[in-house]
Amino acid sequence: MMQASWMLLLLAWGGHANTKTVGQTLPPVEPDVHLLADVRSVVLQGKSHTDKVDVPGPMNLTLQCTWTANGNKTLNVTGYWLKDGRDIDNSHVTLRLENQQVHLKRTFLIKNEESLGRYSCMFGNEAKADFILAVPHISDVRDKPVVSYVGDSVVLACKVDDRKPEPKTWLWFRANGTDKEQITTVAEPQKYQIKNAGKATKLHVHNLTRDDSGLFYCAAVFTIGTAVSHLELKVITIYEPLKPFVTIVLEVLILVTAILLFERGQSKKSQVQEASEKEVANAEPPATNAEPPAINVEPPTSTSSATPSGESNGLEKSSSARQRKS
Amino acid sequence: MSPAPTNELGFKPPDGGWGWMVVIGAHISIGFAYATPKALSIFFNDIQLDFQASYSDIAWISSIMLAAMYAGGPVSSALVNRYGSRPIVILGGLMCGASMVAASFGNSIIFLYLCIGVIAGCGLALNLNASLTIISKYFLDKRPLANGLAMAGSPVFLCFLAPLNQYLLDKFGWRGSLLIIGALMLNSCVAGALMRPIGSCNASSCAQQQKSEEQSNNGNTKKWKQICGSRAKKILAWSVFKDRGFLIYLIGNIMFIFGAYAPIVFLSAYAVSHGVDQYSAAYLLSIMGFVDMFVRPGTGLIANSKWIRPRVQYFFSFAMVFNGTCHLLCPLIKNYTFLVVYAVFFGVGFGMVFALIFECLMDLMGNQRFPSAVGLVTIIECVPMLLGPPTAGLLVDIFGDYKYLFFLCGTVIVTGGIFLFIMNIYNYHMLEKERGRQPNPNHIQVVGQGQGEMLNILNHSFLTKESAVPEIKDGSEPAMC
Repeated sequence: MMQASWMLLLLAWGGHANTKTVGQTLPPVEPDVHLLADVRSVVLQGKSHTDKVDVPGPMNLTLQCTWTANGNKTLNVTGYWLKDGRDIDNSHVTLRLENQQVHLKRTFLIKNEESLGRYSCMFGNEAKADFILAVPHISDVRDKPVVSYVGDSVVLACKVDDRKPEPKTWLWFRANGTDKEQITTVAEPQKYQIKNAGKATKLHVHNLTRDDSGLFYCAAVFTIGTAVSHLELKVITIYEPLKPFVTIVLEVLILVTAILLFERGQSKKSQVQEASEKEVANAEPPATNAEPPAINVEPPTSTSSATPSGESNGLEKSSSARQRKS
Repeated sequence: MSPAPTNELGFKPPDGGWGWMVVIGAHISIGFAYATPKALSIFFNDIQLDFQASYSDIAWISSIMLAAMYAGGPVSSALVNRYGSRPIVILGGLMCGASMVAASFGNSIIFLYLCIGVIAGCGLALNLNASLTIISKYFLDKRPLANGLAMAGSPVFLCFLAPLNQYLLDKFGWRGSLLIIGALMLNSCVAGALMRPIGSCNASSCAQQQKSEEQSNNGNTKKWKQICGSRAKKILAWSVFKDRGFLIYLIGNIMFIFGAYAPIVFLSAYAVSHGVDQYSAAYLLSIMGFVDMFVRPGTGLIANSKWIRPRVQYFFSFAMVFNGTCHLLCPLIKNYTFLVVYAVFFGVGFGMVFALIFECLMDLMGNQRFPSAVGLVTIIECVPMLLGPPTAGLLVDIFGDYKYLFFLCGTVIVTGGIFLFIMNIYNYHMLEKERGRQPNPNHIQVVGQGQGEMLNILNHSFLTKESAVPEIKDGSEPAMC
């Protein structure tokens, strides 16, 4: 008997019904071929499971749950449905375990935004599966602001994931205090341009000023509801990046100058060294064999007072050479 | 065992001292050269939105930049041969900085192609070539280590530029970021300032002395064509193409470059296709870069050791085969932990090859011909570099599976490595034979391959009266004067 009424529920509900859903009771269904139908199934492995379902428009959604009882002695289990945590009337059914498995299936008419929410199929107190029905949400929400410059143009974009259904249209809003004000291209055609392309939308903002900074909202309008996402725009002047730029250029100039000066200093020192070595070499007497053995080895006065070890070594060598020769 | 010609500059490279500052300069210069094209991709999404172009249009900026960097090699070589490294690196830094600043004011994609792609790319080409040349002038005994340290600039700068670019993008937008990056690239000028010229004979005075020698040696009846021809040889040593070792190196390198970049480009996509989430997939590349950072100096250290140095060409082949094998094993990997292991090994292999890639060329060519050789190698490598990733991408599109990409790249690289190994054995064997046939050891000549090189370049006054034929000690390059 119960099964028969469930079979009726599988039939579609027409879009012209006037009865509203009161509480959680399901309205009677009428066949309507124009309404979409979809099925979502879940096989419960553990105690609970959650599934997200994107619902773009009114449809008949069949939800199925399968649960495997793990070695329980109970032969019967009560299956029932909840919407947003509250019992759905007439949904309790006693299920018999066949091969330790139980199935629960129900078709819901998703008519409007109120029909969306969290639907749960419950197997007594043992297990449950949640289906979260919602309007498809906008993907890739950008958490960092879009930065642009005064006088420049910028493009703000929103898109819905490829696998999700296409919205009917896109709308853009600008934050105005706590309100949202819709952006229309009619009012200011030079300033704003909206380009919609199915699953993506782009808002072109021209002639940016500092007042344009703030939150922008893009809304994907579906038959059943609207998904909204926000983007932040920051408009800055050219002077902001100019400060680090000038700092880095100065740093480069200072380092290059320092390195080149250091090099010049070092080369001057070695030039002085070379010059004094040459002078020492020139100041030695040329003929050595005619000299008497004991020779006064005084360093020539023309050498500079700073005598690096190289020079003194040279002098020592030349003096020892003279002594050896003589 | 290395057949490389002796140091024709006629002085002993310092192998230390100021040389380490030059390594720092080269590190910065090479870092900017390799890391900038990759790090700029962070801005592409925003640029693409503002210019209403497709992502692949914008991605061409990176490709043009890399292509210009490699294609500018010969021009860079010629300039380095003539003016030395320091002015060229400073010029390169100024070009990069100016072009980035100009790009930040751009309003069309073509303008960005020109500024960032062509001009900055050429600036980077100047940087790259000159940095490698100056290392070969400052180091000989410790050259593999110096090369490894300098080439480590690439992963270090990538590691540092990538988060910096992200931060700049969030704070200043892409225009402000390009402006600031232009200023950062001026630091190549600082690197250039560090590259103190060395050697008693710089190219212009060498050329003058050589010219006067030519005229005195060959009489006054020199046809202007021959003079021009010899000057052309000075600008770029085209004779390298007659060099057997050079050709072997070139072929092996072409095969490596063809297969090297595609796995990097497609690694994240491959990981995502196996169920890894996007952030973890991007993390794989960071792991690879991080490993690369340490492997390059490490490889330089190993290549410097007594046992490996004379056999550095074989070590290079080993590194290539290792890299290729990693790719061949990748398709067997299905879960994330093993992908991390693969990324680590990939980093090791990649770092090893790149640490040695220019060291091997220096080893083969010697100081005099290296600038020209590296310029010619890079312009020829442009072709496999531009063809590799798209071909691999085509394979992925046709077969719908990434494993063929890895098979292709792995096979090509392994083949290249084995080719290098076998051909180097042959090359060394032939050189031993040629050396055995050499008649008079007191001739001042360039020993080794490439007899087409103008021997008059070696001015007598720069060599001592010791034998110019280098003794080949085991474990080091031929002794210099």
